[in-house]
Amino acid sequence: MSTLSVIARREIRLAVRNRSALIAAFIFAVWFPVMSTLSIAVGAGGDTAAVAGGIAAITLPVGVFMGYIFCADTFLREKRDGTIETLLCAPVSLQRLWEGKAIGVAVPACLMMLLSAAVAIAAASTFSGVSVAAEPLLLIHLAAVVPVWILAAAGLIGAAQLALGMRENQILGFILIFGFIFLVGGLQAVVPGGAGISPAMEGVLAAVGLSLLALARFIAGKVTKERIVRTIP
Amino acid sequence: MSAVEVRGLSRSFDGRDILRDVSFTVGHGEIFGYLGPNGAGKTTTIRILLGLLAPGAGEVRVLGRDLAADDDARRRVGVLFENNGLADRMSAADNLAYYAGLYGIDDPAERIDELLVLVDLADRRDDPVGTFSTGMKRKLGIARAILHRPEVVFLDEPSSGLDPGAQRMVRDLIVELSRREEMTVFLNSHHLDEVQRICSTVAILAGGRIRAFDTVANLTRASGRPAVTVALADPGERARACETVGGLPFVAGCDVDGDALHCTLAEPGATPELIAALVRAGFRIEEIRRSSRSLEEIYLEHVSRAEGGA
Repeated sequence: MSTLSVIARREIRLAVRNRSALIAAFIFAVWFPVMSTLSIAVGAGGDTAAVAGGIAAITLPVGVFMGYIFCADTFLREKRDGTIETLLCAPVSLQRLWEGKAIGVAVPACLMMLLSAAVAIAAASTFSGVSVAAEPLLLIHLAAVVPVWILAAAGLIGAAQLALGMRENQILGFILIFGFIFLVGGLQAVVPGGAGISPAMEGVLAAVGLSLLALARFIAGKVTKERIVRTIP
Repeated sequence: MSAVEVRGLSRSFDGRDILRDVSFTVGHGEIFGYLGPNGAGKTTTIRILLGLLAPGAGEVRVLGRDLAADDDARRRVGVLFENNGLADRMSAADNLAYYAGLYGIDDPAERIDELLVLVDLADRRDDPVGTFSTGMKRKLGIARAILHRPEVVFLDEPSSGLDPGAQRMVRDLIVELSRREEMTVFLNSHHLDEVQRICSTVAILAGGRIRAFDTVANLTRASGRPAVTVALADPGERARACETVGGLPFVAGCDVDGDALHCTLAEPGATPELIAALVRAGFRIEEIRRSSRSLEEIYLEHVSRAEGGA
């Protein structure tokens, strides 16, 4: 088994056993889409593309927020407890450690996002009578676009949490999550097709997500062991 | 080639010198004690050796390699920091299995079982580490540190926060592991008694510099002039006996020390003359023993000298 897989599997197992994070993620995954889908159903007026676009729009910030929730356990706790120092002594590169942890965050975050999407689709069907469960663009959005964004968010937040001190981390965590949410809103305003789901919108979102992933990888590559060790509380 | 080599190591943080021209070596198979007060730079030295921090000046090598630049060389080194490196929500066995995966140990089940038996945690193998006592976590941390059979293991304050019983258990475990696994042990400790009991060589770090570096036997033997402690059958005669021997040419000094006399000799081998002089003067001797200074005395002397700017 590769070290990447070893690290990722461990983080997934820890996430599954983190009751408080799971409860917070579950509440957000259910409450947020139900509340949002009410307004989507009213605004869409039976338009399938509009309903699918609305659901696509809410799953992106939900996924990113899930990444933020699980990052706190995977990166920040490890640093706060000091166990990261032991991991840095293992025969694993810092880059590989970061990648494994980011994947370990992304997997439970994606599962929670899919739960949220399922709730949103069911709610939309109930409130508007429109079923978008088989909408191809929405499926692509959920299966590919949002996971890339979640991985990028996990990578960026994780790299920042490794590099910064505890106080800076508290501030930056909120900045990052709200930055992501505003970015999503901004993208939807500038991409043609309005709120409805469209190939152009999905293409732009996928391209931005991949760029963010590359940026996260670049930033993580700049983080040094010395930086991490010197910011352990 | 030594197991650990430190040559002219210096490091400062925010303009404050933490380590200044530190040099020492640790031989293969030794249990080496690295002593110093809080903030002396012991953990900084370990972090530099492990490649977690860069040296400001000088050179460090572990098994001839620079661990900062050599991911693979870290396979030959184990480490235990104060936090044990364990995840509370995972079981003892799962924690060990995780590190086995990181260190590329094939089929680690047998090794994990062996270590859990060694540290007396076999019956708790499937319990979450969060339910363990501090001592149990420390034992599991040691098992984790040696899981991959490292040639050198760094232990940073392994007895810190443990009750006396657990301290002894950890101390016995370190000696047992050193013997069984033939490891070089680099022990960072505040517990001078522990270091004196189990270490073969020590270095005392104070004020950022190495103040002493030698075997424990040499340090405790070669410190100052030879001395003996004499217990008299009648302790009431201590003061008079002290006056009697204090004027002899081969006695450099004599003090009343508790129930006994502490005589510093001007030359080695003068103990028979001292005994004869006491007997001739009519004192009855109950016990006489060669006194050597404890590591604690030597340590405190070096640290106070460093704090005094000497």
